[in-house]
Amino acid sequence: MKEIYLPIKAEVVEVLDMTPDTKLFKVKPERPVHYQPGQFFMLSLWGKGEVPISITSACGFHEYVELCIRRVGYITSAIHEVKPPCDIGLRGPFGNTFLAENAKNKDIIFVAGGLGIAPLRPLITRVMNEKKRSRRIALLYGSRNPGEILFKDDIEAWQEKGLQLFLGVRKGLQFILSAGKKDNCLLSGSGPAAESSRIPKISFKNAYAFVCGPPVMISPTMITLSTMGMDENNIYTSLEAHMKCGVGKCGHCYVDGVHLCTDGPIFSYAEIRKRRLQIV
Amino acid sequence: MNKIATICPYCGCGCGLYLHVENNTIVGVSPVRNHLVNKGSLCVKSWNCFEFVHHPDRLKYPLIKEKNGAFRRASWDEALRLVAARLLEIRKSSGPDSISIVSSAKSTNEENYVMMKFARAVIGTNNIDHCARLCHSSTVGGLADSFGSGAMTNSINEIVHAKLLFVIGSNTTEQHPMIGMHMLDAVDRGAVLIVADPRKTQIAGLAQFHLRHRPGTDVALLNGIMNVIIDDRLVDIPFVKRRTEKFDSFRALITKYPPEAVERITGVSAQDIKKVARLYATEKKAMLFYSMGITQHTTGVDNVCACANLTMLTGHIGLPMTGLNPLRGQNNVQGACDMGALPNVYSGYQEIRDPKSRKKFEMAWKVKLPRDPGLTLMEMFNGVLKGDTKALYIMGENPAVSNPDVTHTVNALKKLDFLVVQDIFLSDTAEYAHVVLPAATFAEKDGTFTNTERRVQKISAAIEPVGESKPDWEIICALSREMGYDLNYRATHEIMEEIALLTPIYRGILHHRLEGDSGLQWPCPSATHPGTPFLHRKKFAKGFGTFMPVDYVPPAEMPDSEFPFILTTGRTCFHYHTRTMSRRTSTLERECPECLIEINPSDADSLQIKHMNVVRVSSRRGVLTGRVYITENTPGGVVFMPFHFGEAPVNMLTNPALDPSAKIPEYKVCAVRIELIK
Amino acid sequence: MKKNLIMDKNYLSYWLRQIRKTMSLIAPMRLKNADIVFKQVDNIHEIELDCPASLPSPKEFLLPQKEYMFRFSKNSVDVLKDCTKRLIFGVRSCDISAIDLMDRFFGEKFVDEYYMSRRENTVFISIVCNNPDPTCFCIGLGTGPFLKSNFDIQLTDLGDRYLVETGSKQGADLIRGYSHLFSRPKKSDYDDQYEVILSSQSKFEKRISLENTRQKILNEKINDLFWDWIARRCFECGGCVYACPVCTCFNVVDRMEQEGDGYRFRIWDACMFKGFTRMAGNVWPAEKKGSRIKQRYFHKLLYYPDHFGRFGCVGCGRCTITCPGHVDMATIAHRIDVGDRRRR
Repeated sequence: MKEIYLPIKAEVVEVLDMTPDTKLFKVKPERPVHYQPGQFFMLSLWGKGEVPISITSACGFHEYVELCIRRVGYITSAIHEVKPPCDIGLRGPFGNTFLAENAKNKDIIFVAGGLGIAPLRPLITRVMNEKKRSRRIALLYGSRNPGEILFKDDIEAWQEKGLQLFLGVRKGLQFILSAGKKDNCLLSGSGPAAESSRIPKISFKNAYAFVCGPPVMISPTMITLSTMGMDENNIYTSLEAHMKCGVGKCGHCYVDGVHLCTDGPIFSYAEIRKRRLQIV
Repeated sequence: MNKIATICPYCGCGCGLYLHVENNTIVGVSPVRNHLVNKGSLCVKSWNCFEFVHHPDRLKYPLIKEKNGAFRRASWDEALRLVAARLLEIRKSSGPDSISIVSSAKSTNEENYVMMKFARAVIGTNNIDHCARLCHSSTVGGLADSFGSGAMTNSINEIVHAKLLFVIGSNTTEQHPMIGMHMLDAVDRGAVLIVADPRKTQIAGLAQFHLRHRPGTDVALLNGIMNVIIDDRLVDIPFVKRRTEKFDSFRALITKYPPEAVERITGVSAQDIKKVARLYATEKKAMLFYSMGITQHTTGVDNVCACANLTMLTGHIGLPMTGLNPLRGQNNVQGACDMGALPNVYSGYQEIRDPKSRKKFEMAWKVKLPRDPGLTLMEMFNGVLKGDTKALYIMGENPAVSNPDVTHTVNALKKLDFLVVQDIFLSDTAEYAHVVLPAATFAEKDGTFTNTERRVQKISAAIEPVGESKPDWEIICALSREMGYDLNYRATHEIMEEIALLTPIYRGILHHRLEGDSGLQWPCPSATHPGTPFLHRKKFAKGFGTFMPVDYVPPAEMPDSEFPFILTTGRTCFHYHTRTMSRRTSTLERECPECLIEINPSDADSLQIKHMNVVRVSSRRGVLTGRVYITENTPGGVVFMPFHFGEAPVNMLTNPALDPSAKIPEYKVCAVRIELIK
Repeated sequence: MKKNLIMDKNYLSYWLRQIRKTMSLIAPMRLKNADIVFKQVDNIHEIELDCPASLPSPKEFLLPQKEYMFRFSKNSVDVLKDCTKRLIFGVRSCDISAIDLMDRFFGEKFVDEYYMSRRENTVFISIVCNNPDPTCFCIGLGTGPFLKSNFDIQLTDLGDRYLVETGSKQGADLIRGYSHLFSRPKKSDYDDQYEVILSSQSKFEKRISLENTRQKILNEKINDLFWDWIARRCFECGGCVYACPVCTCFNVVDRMEQEGDGYRFRIWDACMFKGFTRMAGNVWPAEKKGSRIKQRYFHKLLYYPDHFGRFGCVGCGRCTITCPGHVDMATIAHRIDVGDRRRR
């Protein structure tokens, strides 16, 4: 029988400080793993416990995995103490994925708030690599302050491939929240780094959106996007929950008839509305 | 899998439960369905009461502190020899009264009895006390003055048949959940529920009347109620005439408390006071319940006496479903008091000063016993700082968190020449010990617990003691043999036999009668006596009930411009006391991982504090920080904090002012200041 | 596989004694305080079949309250799996129905190896219930008092003999080799069984239709105020979940013993607790007691039927016994169904 609760050993190869409370962990699992954008691992520290962490490195079949972890709770604080070389445990990958296939050849808008860029990173990378000239892709990325903008190198690389970037700092959240209020303009009166009142040049009617970030940002963003004419079935986000198993057994993430870990964590806005899922 | 019936180690309800044992490991708990108290229900603590037993933090072998301050593992022989030698030395140099003993309301009756015997017969001192001093010493004192016996007068399974329940200063559904269950049953059957509590607790939310008086104004409130009863001629005159004394002086005092005046003191409307008074006085099957909200004041004894006065005035005592019921906190705090782990009485409340009882114990124990009452808990710690107390033996208590003004207590612990702590975990107190002895938990020993309704119940060992730990009684017996007094029992039922022999109220209580049953309620004067479900039938324990006129006195420390809030302390339903057990239970710890400071939304607004902000709370004695929980349940001007957390020891703030006679500290009221930490 | 036989009652203890040689025998026993509990049988004559339901449900043998999963040290991890062979005798039909639901839950998608290891080594002999408790309401749910399928072995008490129905391979294995104890049933035996079932069905005091309740909820007749009102009486003890034979939620906890050494275990958890959904950084998705109660009942009354085609309640009545506030499935379903929002 397959051991669904037994973590495989993974060696922490490198730890990078991203911001004062966020670190990027590069780990090498015992055996290479295959994963899709949007999936997560249950990261296991023996003696401390397990915590779901979304994958932030490029998807596919890989020897190394990157996990971007912010220090918020008991286990993530313990992970931050880890110094390479050191072994941790990994289970997974679990969960469904961002369905980028449907969005093929369509315009895409990515909306990321703070750490929300981490789970989007593999998806953006994939989309940018497959990108044809004609396709328009935009990234709206808000963070608390300029120092907390993550993956700057990646963003530059994406921009070179034609990504339309809209950065909002300091008042990063308002930058995204105020989207669409004025003249159907997705950007208005944002922080000092905002690049004037431009609208991403995409066709909202047929575009896809992928939204990740803190709960306070997700629902207003999704509402805005849908009022801008986007199909609710094409707006996706990743939900968070307390999880203990990651395989739909422990019951902690079970809400409104779905296990966020196996039926999610990626849901479309239409599904969220239908099931009245709570965004926390 | 085997299932062993035993009794819950948490609160005073004394619920029956099974421990599910497989391979000497407890893997589960389930309630006893045919138990008179819990009837197939349990609270969240009981459902999870097994997890701490196998926690890796359990003390598994004796520890001795080295010169450098670190503990090292020791053998039982070495540890006991050291303790015996040091205690004998200190007794020789400074006299037996320089040694004090703190017994435990968590240990069994047998262990408390053995500890009491150890203090009096082996050490030769009456300096023995336990945490009842901090919860219900005012009950024991106050009710002794009023009725002659300080225990719950009725039984828990009478509650459901009562027609009126008056709950004052008790968060029953959270702190005595199974008693709360019986109360809800009574309400379902049409009983009137009246709750007097400054906080809007769960049970207050279910009550027909919720009187939200200001903290510390209980005497005024009760006097106001009695004033209405006298004015409306609702006094049970035949009862007062036939069974009580000193009514006239009492009546004279009560005239000073018309409901309108009381409204100004308490904040409860005169209208409500009148309604409640009339309801209470006119319903015959009326039970009055109280708990820490009454006792933990500098006026604790006064509060208790006021409650007693109310029951006597209306004749609401001495009948089934009719009485005065202090709800005891710990699983065996009633038993520890019964066993005489108190400085002034032997087991069964037999006075030390009474030469007849002293003679009896001297003959039974074959030693000369000390004549004068010993030190109470707080006096012991004061005694250390004064230099009178040199050594302290603490069994299963954690005064470094639970005492008021803990800074003072910790200073005392540090100053001791010799400190022995006997516990299941290395508690905050044990950190200061010279020798730590590992004790067995409730799941690893036999014995009896006495619950709040005086029900003596049998507990049974489910597993072998973890590591080298031993039941408390075995440790004490071994120690006393080391000290040259032959304290020798083969099993706990032998101890119970000796207790029964020497204690009139326990005379008929023997282990074989408790087996497989819901136990016996004392007084049980003979081996065929069925136990006593309610007290003071036809006659009070002391003969006549005494009206003790008590005047309203404000709490020792009232808010002022510098410290504008009243801090009141209490518990949450997920933790127990200083959390030594509950914080090692995953579910309980997750539910309530940190100390939340409850304040009213209006106060939060004026201080510009938001939900979950971190604030600094300071009093004249100390400062601590914690997160704010904004709730309507706490009245304006009042701050509520649970005292469980060693990380946020609320008892650094509390006022160590004592009740003059019971010596209970005022945990429920002190003045504090709140500041937002930016 | 389905095979019906008749066994003289006098042979029962012999049969069980023989089986006990190969596996651990667990059955309902009456204790000194008159409680009925499932425990290891020392003396087969002490087994009680004519008795009220045991309060802890037999789910504890498949999903114990606390189950060790791993023991770990610096360099190694041991998987601690229980493979004890067990026969659980005298289980009620409702509990077998609940176990069937658990089998489907733990066996779908990711298979829970701890549950399955215990499940594959456990065989149940259930008994047609002939003395339902006042709290029982399986009759309205089709989960009792007798079963048509999904049992290993089902016994019907026909006075001096049992009708023995085998419904699974594991059940058939128990009978193999003991053909001298069994005979073929006659038509009159089936008539007697029918009588027993009829008489049992007539003894139920509670008739509760969860379907009506479900429809009322689906038609949005119940608003959040109802759940808040129910919540006033909830003690947050978790008893309804712990006692429920269908509830499966667990928490996973690590404990360190010494440097690098320790174990990981799982322990029953309950969605009635506020901390159940708590996330790092003090986020409480279900802070209101009412919303948690609603979630639990929606799970049992709406989501279970959607997913498994059956209610997540088997009508065993254990929550009615154990709930200190009397806000259990039967009460809530009844209140929703007949619309009685008043206090009892």
